[in-house]
Amino acid sequence: MTQRKRPDNSLSRREFARQATLGAAAASAALLPLPELPPSGTPTLPVQLPANAPKLSLQSQSEADARYQSILAQYPDRFSDVQKVDLQHLCFVLQPQLDRLRAWPVANSDQPALYLKPLVEREKKSNAAPNLKSAPASTPSKSAAPERP
Amino acid sequence: MISSDILYLSASELAKRIQSKSLSPVDLAKAYLDRSEKLGPKLNAYARLSPDIALEQATAAEREIGRGHYRGPLHGVPYAAKDLLATKGIPATWGAKPYENQVFDYDATVIENLRRSGAVLLGKAAMIELAGGMNYRFASASLQGAAKNPWNTSCWTCGSSSGSGAIVAAGLAAFAIGTETWGSIVCPSAYCGVSGLRPTFGRVSRYGAMALSYSMDKIGPMARSAEDCAHIFAVIAGHDIKDQSTLSLDKAAFTYSPSAELSAKPLRFGWLTNAWKQIDAHAEKAIQAAERAVRKIFSGTRNAALPEGPFEAAGGIIIAVEGAAAFRELIRSGKVAQLADPLGQINGYVSEQIEATDYVRALQVRGVLQQKMEALFDGFDVLVAASQPLGANALDANLETDLIFPDPLGGIGNLCGLPALSVPCGFTDENLPVGLQFVAKAGNDLAVIRAARSFQQHTEWHRKHPKIS
Repeated sequence: MTQRKRPDNSLSRREFARQATLGAAAASAALLPLPELPPSGTPTLPVQLPANAPKLSLQSQSEADARYQSILAQYPDRFSDVQKVDLQHLCFVLQPQLDRLRAWPVANSDQPALYLKPLVEREKKSNAAPNLKSAPASTPSKSAAPERP
Repeated sequence: MISSDILYLSASELAKRIQSKSLSPVDLAKAYLDRSEKLGPKLNAYARLSPDIALEQATAAEREIGRGHYRGPLHGVPYAAKDLLATKGIPATWGAKPYENQVFDYDATVIENLRRSGAVLLGKAAMIELAGGMNYRFASASLQGAAKNPWNTSCWTCGSSSGSGAIVAAGLAAFAIGTETWGSIVCPSAYCGVSGLRPTFGRVSRYGAMALSYSMDKIGPMARSAEDCAHIFAVIAGHDIKDQSTLSLDKAAFTYSPSAELSAKPLRFGWLTNAWKQIDAHAEKAIQAAERAVRKIFSGTRNAALPEGPFEAAGGIIIAVEGAAAFRELIRSGKVAQLADPLGQINGYVSEQIEATDYVRALQVRGVLQQKMEALFDGFDVLVAASQPLGANALDANLETDLIFPDPLGGIGNLCGLPALSVPCGFTDENLPVGLQFVAKAGNDLAVIRAARSFQQHTEWHRKHPKIS
């Protein structure tokens, strides 16, 4: 695998650092305001952002931080201080990818393509055996599918 | 004494001489071994040479051919295999310290198929540790250190088939076997100025190959021409009962004859306008010239555009999760700390944290994308774009910060298991190779081979090789 490239809308560390020095707000945002309270009403501690974190919503910051804390809890004695900084950064740069993925509409009926084999098999089946049954009444209409770009 | 000009001949040209008995497979193997011993260490190209096996196989080939039993275009032709393929009795280190003493007692199906074809195994090609499965920040993420580009040894070969790229470009073997999960054949082929085929997912058995991403790993040839790739692919493709992800017998097998192309119907080409957001200034002229050449050679080429969506993100999530599963024991035990790369040492812990629902969503996105690409291929047989938007980067570059650019075609192509063939198409103004990739719908590997071969019949870039000593 080549070193994985960053998705379209993310920032390189360098780019982020440059922007951070330009923006006073970003520069002073090591500690962010309290995120919204979770439904339980338990107050959430402020998320400590890594210096080069991508721009994230409060919810995404919390999720990225929870990921980082979970790693530390699971492997408490495993990392050096330098690695911890790196880990935290990685937890945050993963978040935009997840956010983009989740924001893209998929329907309940969209099957996960675990392997590519089924695509080829489907082609074969459709050629060999035409569907003789009419669609059941419960088949969702095409308009029920989410709109995709 | 065999000259370097002979060692730089394509496998197809070597085959003609071997078949006519004007070239001895034993002499050829010895010459490649000699050159590999001299130049291999300078380039960090090989994980290990296997001269005993090479000479045994070459001797057997020579004897058989002498008796009139010629097996086909790879008989007696020497090659190197990426060090993630099991080779009986020879260590398969996967490029990584934790596996440096790993030896399998069987051959990967690809190695077995090549042995049956009469090809001669020279040794194992160096690679990025775990094929980059834990991610990496530096070219030095390998047991052998950073692979040096034969065109300029202060530059990298790209990864993870780094040694395979260096070996073919430096004339240390007639061809090499590489693997790609995302970019690992296409990028080293482009950086090193060689021809590399990433086959359709499921056409080449992965039995005996290190798994990084079960639903995205592919094995393919890197060679001196598209025609060579076709001959090698014909040997290694096919259904394998030992690999449940291989396609059925009729869909996996590939037979190739250059003459059959004459009667084939013309291909419809699309030049991708959104494969790269920006082309590096040093590579711009070469890529523009390549586009003009494509439009001239393949008249009727129209503009085409890739669908937009979170496809790179989906690919990244799938690889991260499958990689964390494949190397779960390595991560949990803490042995992942033995990897050379600082990013590789810790990234697996982050991948472990990705939720199952996000993984399934990525697979759903892949399903949707497959349909979108099927629709795009209703109008085109082959899509064309630069293989990379730049020439080889410096050996010491921080890949995480210095090499940031989106790669939608790599993401989409690998997510959907589409075949791609990268061929040399010129040089940057720093004299580094630039590549052009042809991509087709899943299963239509022949289309990319035909396209790349036509391109090479009209150009000479694939015949250039670096001056090294």
